[in-house]
Amino acid sequence: MDLVFDRVNKRYEHREALSDLSFEMRSGEMAFLTGHSGAGKSTLLRLLLLLDRASSGEVSVGGRPLSKVKESRIAKYRQDFGVVFQDHKLLADRSVYHNVALPLEIAGFTKRDIDRRVRAALDKVGLLDRERAAPDALSGGEQQRIGIARAVVARPKILIADEPTGNLDPQLSAEIMGLFSAFNSVGVTVIVASHDLALISRMSQRILTLDRGRLITLGGVSRGINE
Amino acid sequence: MSNSQTTTAGIGAGPRSALSAWAHHHRQAALISVDKLLREPIASFLTVLVIGVALAVPSLGLSLAATVQGEISQIDAPPQLSVLLGQDASLEDADKLRTEILRKPGIADVKVVDRDSALADFVSATGLESLVQKLNRNPLPHTLWVYPSANTRLAGIEQLQVDLGSLAGVSQVILDSRWLERLNAFTDLLRTIAMVLGVVMSVGVVLTLGNTLRLGIEARRDEIVVIKLIGGGNAFARRPFLYTGLLSGALGGVFGGLLSGAALLMLDGPVKRLFDLYDQAPSVPSLILSELLVLISIGAILGLISAWYSVQLHLTRIKPR
Repeated sequence: MDLVFDRVNKRYEHREALSDLSFEMRSGEMAFLTGHSGAGKSTLLRLLLLLDRASSGEVSVGGRPLSKVKESRIAKYRQDFGVVFQDHKLLADRSVYHNVALPLEIAGFTKRDIDRRVRAALDKVGLLDRERAAPDALSGGEQQRIGIARAVVARPKILIADEPTGNLDPQLSAEIMGLFSAFNSVGVTVIVASHDLALISRMSQRILTLDRGRLITLGGVSRGINE
Repeated sequence: MSNSQTTTAGIGAGPRSALSAWAHHHRQAALISVDKLLREPIASFLTVLVIGVALAVPSLGLSLAATVQGEISQIDAPPQLSVLLGQDASLEDADKLRTEILRKPGIADVKVVDRDSALADFVSATGLESLVQKLNRNPLPHTLWVYPSANTRLAGIEQLQVDLGSLAGVSQVILDSRWLERLNAFTDLLRTIAMVLGVVMSVGVVLTLGNTLRLGIEARRDEIVVIKLIGGGNAFARRPFLYTGLLSGALGGVFGGLLSGAALLMLDGPVKRLFDLYDQAPSVPSLILSELLVLISIGAILGLISAWYSVQLHLTRIKPR
């Protein structure tokens, strides 16, 4: 699913979060979104998820201008996305299995399909044996992997991760990034917002660098940072 | 981490049809609601109790009013009217008037009581024979006792009183129905109070249950945010709350029915004693299945309204940030 930002501005009351932002991502591409805190990374992701609307300009996903998506259709639109959050956002009163199953329940999958997909997703992140556990019983790294399993279980067209390694040690962070690359390799468009330049530099992927709402690096690959 | 080559892509079939998914979501939401009610038995019971009491009070009032009013309509048929003729009216005039009155609709019978018989009855009833003998003439007029049909209501009888009073030769029409009017007015008042209480308590149920559900929504704010972030709409998030309202209301209806039934049993004796005074032997009806179903339905509807009001007010305002 192609993404297009065309001269997008996002203005909050007293500040400009995004300014004249234009870039494109092709379907199946992976990119890192980086920049300092307040650079506009989260705002960009919020516009993609229709948590906010652009003040001007147009964001298009799969050729569909988001300004045309009605409020009543936003929930359905978001089903095309898998989202990984820095704080995992797992539901404490549901088991690991039922946390991962939630997007499939929302999408209306049958019990049998839910079971097969949840197990496959948990297997992929290496936590199949923890399916009955409560999220609170897991380590931070395990919780993040559960968050990833939940994000990919409904086979999203676009996977978004907002600071997914923020609280993890370097080894776990590398494993998480490896998972994103694996999903990208089967055709999922992946956008990872991170300010961990050391980690990004080890991945050979495109980088979009934001600074005070403006795009200052476009189209390069992270290898370039080291070079 | 697993090195399995399995990916989530390509596994299993797609989602169900929209209708099947909708039905499945409803089934799931109902089960979640039952589970949540059972997980907090004391809080759930108190909520059901409040709804039950709120439904039982007006239901009891209406049942009692219906019982009393039903009995009033059967008390020795409607009251009798005494039509007093003028002093100059003869017994022949009384017979003619009787025939004329009998032709009117709503009249069951008319009896002529001649003035001599009336005086004899008066003497016999009062023992004032010596006083009566001192009178030069019989002061009583010929009288007609008019019996309206059994199904005639009080308003119709009062109209009949006016009509009879306008007939030629009639001096006065007496209707002794004050006690019946009072009882009727009392039962009307009871019914009105029950209905007003019903409305007030329904509003109370909606607000109380709505507030309980608001607290439930607040407690599950994180879950609602996550559901909305990963593609669940307001409809998906609100369904469990709607079912909680529906179930709480229906259970409240069951409880209200039981309370009302128990109270009716307790009132059976006093009501019987009251109507014994009028040679009636009514039985306060015990709660029947249809009334219980009505209470359950009213409870369920009130619960659903409460839940709808609460989710519209609170849940739809929760936006992912």
